Amino acid sequence: MSSITSAPTTNNTAMADFNRTTSRWGQITMIAGLLISVAGPLYLVFATGLDIGPAQLWIAFAAVAATFGIIWIVEPLTYYPILGPAAMYQAFMIGNISNKLLPAALIAQTNIGAKPGSKRAELAAVVAICGAAVVHLISLAIFVGLLGSWLISVIPPSVLLVTRLYVLPTVLGAVLVQAIVSMKQPRTTVFALLVSAVVVFVVLPLVPSLAMVSTAIAVLGTILLAWFFRGKSTIAEAKPIHIE
Amino acid sequence: MHQPLALQPLAPNDSTDILAIANNPVLWICVAGVFGVIIIQSVIFMKAARRAAPSADMSAQDIKTSFRSGAVSAIGPSLAVSLVAIALLGLFGAPAVLSRIGLIGSAAYDVSAAGIAAGSMGAKLGDASYTQSVFAVAFFAMSIGGAMWMLATLILTPLLRKGDAKIRSVNPAAMAIVPAAALIGAFSCLGLTELPKSGIHVLSFVVSAAVMGTCLLLAKKLGKSWLREWGLGISIVIGLGAAYLAVGA
Repeated sequence: MSSITSAPTTNNTAMADFNRTTSRWGQITMIAGLLISVAGPLYLVFATGLDIGPAQLWIAFAAVAATFGIIWIVEPLTYYPILGPAAMYQAFMIGNISNKLLPAALIAQTNIGAKPGSKRAELAAVVAICGAAVVHLISLAIFVGLLGSWLISVIPPSVLLVTRLYVLPTVLGAVLVQAIVSMKQPRTTVFALLVSAVVVFVVLPLVPSLAMVSTAIAVLGTILLAWFFRGKSTIAEAKPIHIE
Repeated sequence: MHQPLALQPLAPNDSTDILAIANNPVLWICVAGVFGVIIIQSVIFMKAARRAAPSADMSAQDIKTSFRSGAVSAIGPSLAVSLVAIALLGLFGAPAVLSRIGLIGSAAYDVSAAGIAAGSMGAKLGDASYTQSVFAVAFFAMSIGGAMWMLATLILTPLLRKGDAKIRSVNPAAMAIVPAAALIGAFSCLGLTELPKSGIHVLSFVVSAAVMGTCLLLAKKLGKSWLREWGLGISIVIGLGAAYLAVGA
């Protein structure tokens, strides 16, 4: 692609080698991660004697796809210019991109004085994400795997029960505020809250069978309203879609 | 000697003892597999970066500095993610939390996917309708969601590398409005769905939202970005504290 470079040929072959290696092994490791992560739940569903039909899985998948399908495609598109091809394979497997991996990459680039978009910056990002991955895996293994499992075994059942019952509204309350604040689109926010309120408090009590697709209805309704009543001063650039 | 097999009860489908199947050894093996894959990938990428470094004017010291900067800056966020993960252990069990919330996905998307999947079976996470079968389907939904992100990355990255200009020139207004609308729409509907369940659900939701709002406001006003990282964890802990007090009252 880069035909206009003054750098000697050896530099080009070195970077080409880097691109080839990270692209091939990035794909291989990501496919492996994908298969292993889906194998766990499929084993539970089909090999442990639970009575679950394929239809239930398809319905659940469709319900999730109707809600997040757009994000599945948009997120990789908007992160690519920031991460570059190599780091894409790291970021979307390790997760927690916006709150952990991007800051790690940016700080590393600043600390070695790499110009954004340069080869140094690309390499620094990849190396920094490796460093972040090491810290992340260790802290997960210790604090969640060991400490967390021990914690679950010693906390009183009443606390565990409260946690199970009410952790969902606490996560969603905080995440909703996060989403609204990080998107900075007041008009869209008003539409989203209005549509959701109508769905949850009016439509669902009248037609309870729609519960399965309620989120999809709210998503579609919000997109349509936000699109048709978008402001004249439309946003000039597509920013990464993420929750802070 | 030939009897015990027949005497063993079949796994009951309506059992709500989630942690009994959530800690299945096979799931732990899968978690170890995901950890292993990420370690292998990091080693390969590090080696490739080291080899390419001289051609990009990068010294061995630069590599070391980059690695250390990435590691140090990840300490805070990693601990913050761990706090959120611990809060979800009782709901999903350690293997699912480690592979979904800790790695690959994130709390927001995976908890939402689990909630949507449970809803598609007419059940709610955490209460009496949250059976082992519901957990299995919810875990499947979280995982397949994460798999779709990876699939999109696998398909789009080579395309973007070849001719990024074409794909990225999708109508910028649509790229700015549609995804944001989808996200806020999804989370506001999922959030409001919690409210009719009980007064304590309302309380947990409102307290947590208020704490998050305060964290984000203080983060901006005082320039303390760690408040942004820890916002979710702090909101969950205080929200659950409020719920615990309300249950006891």
